[in-house]
Amino acid sequence: MTVLVSRKYRFPASHRLHSALLSEEENRATYGKCNNPHGHGHDYEVEITVRGAVDEVTGRAVDLAALDRLAEEQILKPLRYRNLNEEVPSFQGVVPTTENLAAELDRRLRAGWGGVFCAGGPVYEKLRIWETERNICEILSAPTATRVGEAPIQEDNG
Amino acid sequence: MLISKKVEFSAAHICRAPGLSEEENRRIYGEAANPHGHGHNYVVEVAIEGEPDPVTGMILDLKELKQILEDRILSVYDHRLLNREVEAFEHRVPTVENIAIDIWRRICQPVASVTRGRARLFSVRVHETSDLVVEYRGAE
Repeated sequence: MTVLVSRKYRFPASHRLHSALLSEEENRATYGKCNNPHGHGHDYEVEITVRGAVDEVTGRAVDLAALDRLAEEQILKPLRYRNLNEEVPSFQGVVPTTENLAAELDRRLRAGWGGVFCAGGPVYEKLRIWETERNICEILSAPTATRVGEAPIQEDNG
Repeated sequence: MLISKKVEFSAAHICRAPGLSEEENRRIYGEAANPHGHGHNYVVEVAIEGEPDPVTGMILDLKELKQILEDRILSVYDHRLLNREVEAFEHRVPTVENIAIDIWRRICQPVASVTRGRARLFSVRVHETSDLVVEYRGAE
């Protein structure tokens, strides 16, 4: 029996939305209040969804203590109470929008997954992040996921 | 198209596997292994997949769905000790995973019957707490 198990975590962090590729005026028009040069913060909520088979003996599809450890090591400890722009290297030159933050958390989870769960064990399915109650970004785990703002893939249509 | 309906029930459970040692049970289930039991306010969200009927504009009659949820879930689960009072958990640990699977089994056929096959049960989501939810979409 395969089920999807989702677990939520929270971390507060600050950020400023400002792109070096846009003018001051364009930044204000694009990001509004989020462009405030002093930054601002959110209590982010992250939901990790895992696909797994329910163990006949334990009735569990995923070891929640192990998932908690992975979330703590990969996401919560490095980002909790941080200024994302200044203290998290991945956001050097990358705007810490909810979209890019979701992609970063997705990358971190995938990087740490194999160290906690064995092959054939629970599979990382998707991640959702709430910046506020109304702003939610969902990312399906895919090895090709790239961050918005990274060098675009050149397509040859000729 | 999917339509979802939520119901709530309160129940007690004990998360202990009889085949495992005291130490293993504590390691796997933590505080939930307390042999005296503890409880939750469960929220169950069922999603039905189908197309709106051209005459009624509805995927299914929500009154009928409500009746199924009351008869097949709430009357069985609400204010019970799941390990002792729900048949499915006589030999199975009533984890939130197994609760979702049991609820699926209880309502899958009744949903197909009342809609005469026009709609089907798509998923059962069971929230054990505000930060833990399991979703089951049937055998894959």
